[in-house]
Amino acid sequence: MTSPDRLERLRRERPRSRFLRASVALLALLAAYAWSCGSVDLVGLFSDRRLRNLRRFLEQDVVPYPLREGQSDAGALGRWAHGVLLERGYEAALATIAISVLAIVLAAVLSWCFAPLAAANVATRRPFDGDGRGERWAWRALRIVVRLAMILLRSIPEYVLAFLLLSVLGPETAWPAVLALALHNAGILGRLGAETIENLEPGPLRSLRAIGAPRRAILMAGVFPLALGRYLLYFFYRFETCVREATVLGMLGVVSLGYWIQDARAKQYYDEMLLLVGVGVVIVFAADLASALARRYLRERA
Amino acid sequence: MAAEALLSAPRPASRRGRLLAGVFLAAALAWISLGLSPADAVPGANGRGVLLLFLEGAVRPALTYEAEVPSGTTPLLLKVLAALRDTVVFAAAAMSLSLVSGLLLGFLGATSWWADESGCSASSFGRRVRCTLMPVLYTTVRALIALMRSVHELLWAVLFLAAFGLNSFSAVVAIAIPYGGTLAKVFSEMIDECPRESARSLRAIGARSPQVFLWGLLPRALPDMSSYTFYRFECAIRSSAILGFFGYPTLGYYLRLSAENVHYREVWTYLYALFAVVLLFELWSSQLRRRVVLR
Repeated sequence: MTSPDRLERLRRERPRSRFLRASVALLALLAAYAWSCGSVDLVGLFSDRRLRNLRRFLEQDVVPYPLREGQSDAGALGRWAHGVLLERGYEAALATIAISVLAIVLAAVLSWCFAPLAAANVATRRPFDGDGRGERWAWRALRIVVRLAMILLRSIPEYVLAFLLLSVLGPETAWPAVLALALHNAGILGRLGAETIENLEPGPLRSLRAIGAPRRAILMAGVFPLALGRYLLYFFYRFETCVREATVLGMLGVVSLGYWIQDARAKQYYDEMLLLVGVGVVIVFAADLASALARRYLRERA
Repeated sequence: MAAEALLSAPRPASRRGRLLAGVFLAAALAWISLGLSPADAVPGANGRGVLLLFLEGAVRPALTYEAEVPSGTTPLLLKVLAALRDTVVFAAAAMSLSLVSGLLLGFLGATSWWADESGCSASSFGRRVRCTLMPVLYTTVRALIALMRSVHELLWAVLFLAAFGLNSFSAVVAIAIPYGGTLAKVFSEMIDECPRESARSLRAIGARSPQVFLWGLLPRALPDMSSYTFYRFECAIRSSAILGFFGYPTLGYYLRLSAENVHYREVWTYLYALFAVVLLFELWSSQLRRRVVLR
């Protein structure tokens, strides 16, 4: 048989799933509907008014202030940028990072407490014993309640959460942003943590159980140390997202980078706005780098 | 061999310990630099009232408007449905754009479909050109992906608002850019990390690079990729809901109006609507994972 024929046969015999196909078809239909139902205004974007708007934006608004005033030397530009950054950029960038660090640590601590309660191999009558037969409904109910609470936490976007917390706690401190990020991420890390615990190699845990260790001892000696590595990976992944979100939460009125971006937007200082968005890009890069380094440090062999 | 492996094995505990210590130190520094005190996390008398009202709304979400409305106003539930529809529509439109760009950039940002492992030692001119061009292309694509990802969708939206004014297509693009970047990043990693035996065997029986990619690599990575795409769809729905805060007709718009009028029971109606859609997607994607990925 020639190779193309063999390839063709391999292709024909590949595994398929009807469910996957139906899902893909449904999603394609949804996308087609989305573009055709008229909610997305494709043509309007290229109307004369919008294009004039765009031209003004590009030719005047985003041109840094000194250039617009005819000072085209690099020194004036540097002084302008430095002025903006010194006045608000640096401090806001620092606040953004501080908010996200604190939030993700709080989220980790919170979710670390809840994850075992949602894991089917821990929160059950006979932990780590396999099949879960003869299970009392109370354990099942506990798991479901914890899981639902975590779904609720993560299905409320952090932006909405922060908006609501602002009216409860007031805009004077960074707490609304910190708590919003912490609660949302606790929901996500809790779910990932529960999955990590459920996917643990059952051997060591069963042997601990077999020598009569109580649940708490197995958790402390087996589950937590085994799950920690994976969990830390997730922790750093979520930290990256946290920095992005912390930037944006400022737009609600908390002092992070977003506050000054919103401020510049309101004053129509679009050059300043672009500069601050650039600062946001820099701290996101920095956070991604820090997280990547930490993850590599974790994984590195000897 | 086993003893050697044991001797050279890392001591993960100490590394983790140091990392954890660093993390907590960073958190302490953050705490100090933000000047936070635990007392401020407890709502004042005013805030407690708001909180109580808000929590009460969770138990009794509104089915009709909380205030008097002129007759002829769309009933609340219909308005919720319309907002929900637009939220999903924006998300679906954005995801279709970002899926296309994500697949394209993800393919260009992956290395495993590059020519065979014999590498660049071969002398043919065409191959040597490819060997110098591919890394350049790869680096460019990677940088593009990073840039797309590093600006949050709301910031893209704000930039587009300033550039174009309020326009729904620019809102869709605002979501599609960072999501496309994220999909591209994750797709390329999935393609590069999937097992390569089938790709190697295909190459051995004479398949060319595109064939190897389409039939040897992609099918192995596809289940993970589709499950991740589903997850991102769920995220896109949340993002599209939030875009409403900037005046687009998605959930966030109405939610903000209701909250500013202290109609927390209505707020909860919107939140539960969002919750329901997210839950639906979660069930769908977990079914998909169970049936396709974990086969």
